[in-house]
This record gives sequence, C-alpha cells and structure tokens, in this order.
Amino acid sequence: METLFALLIGLLIAAGVFLLLSRVIVRVVLGLSFITYGGNLAILTVAGLREDAPPLLTLKGPYVDPLPQALILTAIVIGFATTALLLTVALRAYQVAGHDDVEAFGDNLARDPEADDGLAADPEHQGPDRPDPEEPRTLVYSARSPGGGEP
Amino acid sequence: MSDLSWLTLAPILTPLGFGLLLLWPSARAVRVGLSLAGAGLTLAFSLGLLAATADGTVLVGAVGGWPAPFGIVLTADRLAAWVSVLGAVSAVFAVWQAAADPDPVREKHHLLALMQFLFAGVQMSFLTGDLFNLFVAFEVMLVASYALAVLGSTREQLREGFRYIVMNLAASALLVVSCGLAYGVLGTLNMAHLAQRAAELGPNPTVTAVGVLLLIVFAAKGALFPLGFWLPGTYPALPPAVGTFFAAVLTKVGVYALLRVFTTVFNQEAAVTNTLLLGLGTVTMLYGALGAASQREWRRILSFLVVSSVGYLAFGLGLGTGEAVRASVGYFAVSVVVTTALFCVAGVAERASGSRLVRVRGMLDVLPLLAACFLLCALTVAGLPPSGGFVAKYALVRAGLAQGSLLAGLAVASALLSSLITLYAMLNVWRGFFWGQHPNWLPVYRVPRPLHAAAYAACALVAGLSLFAGPLFARADATAAELRDPARYVRGVLGDAPVVIPPAPTGEEAVK
Repeated sequence: METLFALLIGLLIAAGVFLLLSRVIVRVVLGLSFITYGGNLAILTVAGLREDAPPLLTLKGPYVDPLPQALILTAIVIGFATTALLLTVALRAYQVAGHDDVEAFGDNLARDPEADDGLAADPEHQGPDRPDPEEPRTLVYSARSPGGGEP
Repeated sequence: MSDLSWLTLAPILTPLGFGLLLLWPSARAVRVGLSLAGAGLTLAFSLGLLAATADGTVLVGAVGGWPAPFGIVLTADRLAAWVSVLGAVSAVFAVWQAAADPDPVREKHHLLALMQFLFAGVQMSFLTGDLFNLFVAFEVMLVASYALAVLGSTREQLREGFRYIVMNLAASALLVVSCGLAYGVLGTLNMAHLAQRAAELGPNPTVTAVGVLLLIVFAAKGALFPLGFWLPGTYPALPPAVGTFFAAVLTKVGVYALLRVFTTVFNQEAAVTNTLLLGLGTVTMLYGALGAASQREWRRILSFLVVSSVGYLAFGLGLGTGEAVRASVGYFAVSVVVTTALFCVAGVAERASGSRLVRVRGMLDVLPLLAACFLLCALTVAGLPPSGGFVAKYALVRAGLAQGSLLAGLAVASALLSSLITLYAMLNVWRGFFWGQHPNWLPVYRVPRPLHAAAYAACALVAGLSLFAGPLFARADATAAELRDPARYVRGVLGDAPVVIPPAPTGEEAVK
C-alpha cells in the first residue's frame, strides 16, 4: 500500500507543480492545494499505514499513532484559510487589473510602478492607489532665493 | 521548571489580545493608544524574559499543563529571549510610525490589528520549542503578513503580494512535509527531544535529508539567494510602517529558525548543512549588495541590503565555529536595529521629498539632522569603524579567517567585497539625496513630527550599538556558548530523568 501512496503523492505534487507554473491565478491556487494535499498524504504514510487500526482508544485496537492525523487536521485547517485568502487576492486582482492573469501585472523592477499599462480595470472596484487622496501636504520649503542657484 | 514559566507565553498573548481588542470599532486615538500599549507591553515582557534567562536558565511553559515531549511547550533560552526583545523593539517602532502617519483607508481595514497579529506570530516563532508549532507560528505570522502585503490593493501591492504569498505557501507546504518526515524518523516533534533522539541515532542520512529540507524552507523564508527573489519587490510596495517591521524582522525569523535547528537540534552531520549555508551566504551577500547598487528608489535599495544582511548571517552560521556563531548572534542584533532605523529614515525622506526616488539633491540644507542619522546608519550597514556594524563584521571576518577552509576564504572575500559595494550604494544615496544644490522647482513637504522622532530614536539605538558593543558581545558570547552545548537546552526542557514513552495499548483493554 505504501507504493500506491507514494505514487499518488508523486502524482498530486507533480500536478500541483504543473498548475503552479501557470499564469492564471486560480490555477496557481489549485496547484498549491494539490501540493498541500500531497504533503498531508506523505505525513500519513510516514507514520505507518494500517487498514484495521483506528487512532481512537475507545474503539477496539490495535491502534495507529493518532498524532500525524492531528498534524494533518491542523495543516488542512491552515490550508483552507490560506486558500480562501489567496482566492480573495485573486478576486481583488481581477477587479483592479481586469485580468486574473499574472502577466497583467507586468514586472516591477523593469518598469515604472506608476505607469498606466492600458488594461481595463473594473470601474466599480478601483484600488485606492492613492490611499489618502486628501492628505494635507504642506510646503515648508521651496526656492531659497528666486534668482540664485543653478538655472 | 520555574515560577516564571508564564513569561514565555506573555509576549505571544499580549499582542494577540490587543489585536482582538483593536478589531472593536473605536476612535483613532483609542486604537493608536491600544496599539502602542500592545507593542510596549510586549517589549516589557520580552525584557523580562531577557532578564530571567540572563543566568542561563531555560524557561519552559507547558501549554495545557502537558509536560515536554508530549505537549506543546514554549521555551525561552538566551537566544530566544534575545531575538524576542529585538522583534519587540522593531514592533514598537513600526507601531510608532503607523501612529504618526494616519492612513484612513488601511486603518479602516484593520491595519493596526493585523500588525498586532503579526507581532504575535513572530514572537511565537521565536519562543516555540516544537517543530510543528513552529509551522503554526509561521502560518499565524504569514497570514497576517499576506493580508498586510495586499492591504490597500494598489496594483503594485497585488503584484508583489501575490508573488510573496505563493512563494511562502510553497515553502510552508515543504515545512509540513519536513515535520512529518522528522516525526516519521525520530518519533517526536519537540525540539529538545528531537535533538536527544538525533544524538542517540548518530550521523544518519535520513536525518540529514530532513535537515536539508528544513534548510531549504528556512532559506526561502529568510530570502537566501536563489529563494529570495520575492523580497526586493515586496517590501517597497508596503506602506512604510509595515515595511519597517517586515524588513527588520520577517527574514530574521527564518535565520533564527536556521540557528535553532542547526545548532540545537540537527547537529550530527553539520558539515553538509554548514557547507550549503556558507555557499548560499557567499552568493547572497554579493547579490544583495550588487542589487542595492543597481536601484534608485529608497526602499528598493534598502530591501536589497536586507537580503545582503541575511547573507552575512548565513555566512557566520555556515562557518560553524563557536566564534562564528557568536559573531552571527551579535550581527543579528546590529542588523535588526540598523534596518529598523534605515526604514524609518527612508519613510521620512520619502515623505519630505514627495518621491520614492533618491535623486532629489540638496536635502542636506533642509533636513540636516536626518542626514546625520542616515550617515550613521550608512556607516553601520557598510561596517565602517566607529559604528556597531564594524564590530560585528570584524568579528565575522575574523571568524572566517580563523576557520581557514577554501570556501571560508571565498566567503570572507565576498563579505569584504559586498561591504565595499554596500558603501558605494549608500554613498550614491547620500550623493543623490542629500548632497548638492537643491533645485528650486522641487517642493519639500512637511513631515509629521512624531515620524521624525521615530527616525531619530531608532538612530539613537544604532548609536547605542556602537557605545555598548562590549556588553552586547558579552551577551552574544554567552548565547553562543549555550548554543554550542545543546545538552543544556535539552536538560532544561526535558528535565534530568530519561523520557519514558508508555507502551502502545494493544487494544484488548478497550474502554467502553
């Protein structure tokens, strides 16, 4: 059975990595879920697989170690939370950029972050690119002497 | 077990509690007060931990009263207390900046509460004594940081935040798998117990493989060279207050985990992991310094310096000698404080010039005190003599020369070269921003006074580093000695009696 599980884990993680390399955000989210579940199965497998052994002392034994199952439970809960968060980010990205394609964001180091890249955004959900538009900006200093200084 | 074991929980529960209080809608003054109180109290408790562990006690707080190898324990030895204080100091400055610079849009969406949750996650990562709980702490910290990274949803934040989230989620998945494998090999997750069992097993290829997996995970969290590509884009996209804390502490959490795991827990086949760390550190130092020299925006330059500083830490850790670990622990403190100060200075500079670019010229006349602060930080980060940075880098280089292998020699050369490039990058900022004649057409904006004050206070701390380098390194010395002797940590957590695992029930005595 370990061989079957090993193959299954490999398949899940391979599919996950394939999806992770995609440009579409939703596919990336799915890919991460696949990888997470592959990891969970790996924990279950290293702790020992037995068909007839419950992890509960109130049932009839022999028992398997319940700790890995607790670990997996925690990992699943955390995985749900992060998936939900990532989907929210995907939705927000779709609203702000008009795509859920990572390519729509361009690359930062090569380009001016203020540049308009000509993609249509959702007009209802514009991101507050200027978080505080009415920020009172007081000028404390401008020209020292109107005539002096470099031209 | 000591009466003070509750202290290990206090720095975690304080920001968590204040974070929950901050979710309650209230006036801005109340929320700012609560945030400052949360960060301040956390610092007070961390200082308490520092005092309680100063004589080498290992404080152990058993959650739910379950003793060490079976339940989750929170432990504080010298190293954990030390980094907990550094994290709390940086937290105070981040909250200070956030309080001084109102941001109604983000604050409406719980910026201040999320910052407290982030502090709680960071403190928990520092103080946990359990490998799986370390994963949970990482997730608490990272979920808060994901939200902070995209909060405000500017296009740049979404782009960089997404990259950051995906990178960290992939690393987290690998961390879960490594925890599972460690449990499969050694049958425990408590770090002290792992150390004990790994020592009993002796050099073992499977344990080493688990160690290397953990090294990859922590290298990704700490932004070591090939895995640190997300950092220089993500940090500048953040609002300044959050960026300060991210830059100063979040990568250091990865480094702390490396220190903890490879000195205390998996130290049987240190040669493998140390060589890897030394190699990665060598490249990371140069990559960070060259990156800093290539950028022209304030916080992009500083973000690359963060990467470089992680390289120095990995270099010290990879050398593996006692002297090197001592130098790393000292450099850790210098790096956290100087990064906090530099990001505070950058926040003021960006506000005053109304631009993120460093090519403004002539700000020396307008902000002379800020220029002095920047110069002090620049000297520290480049490691020139009157600063605390010099003491730390000198110790690192000397440790590298003392170790004497070929790779160590290369790493020393890389450390010296990247210090030089860092100096060049900092001089470029100086020349671009402070030096020269201020062009008449460029405006200068008023910066809120508390924001100035935060930058000055942080720079006072940097100055303090050079004044009190002696006591600082005495403490680092004691910490390194403790890390060289993991048996002390193991005894502190597990007690003197051997751990007895009760036999597995056979199933005949099933309870109805």
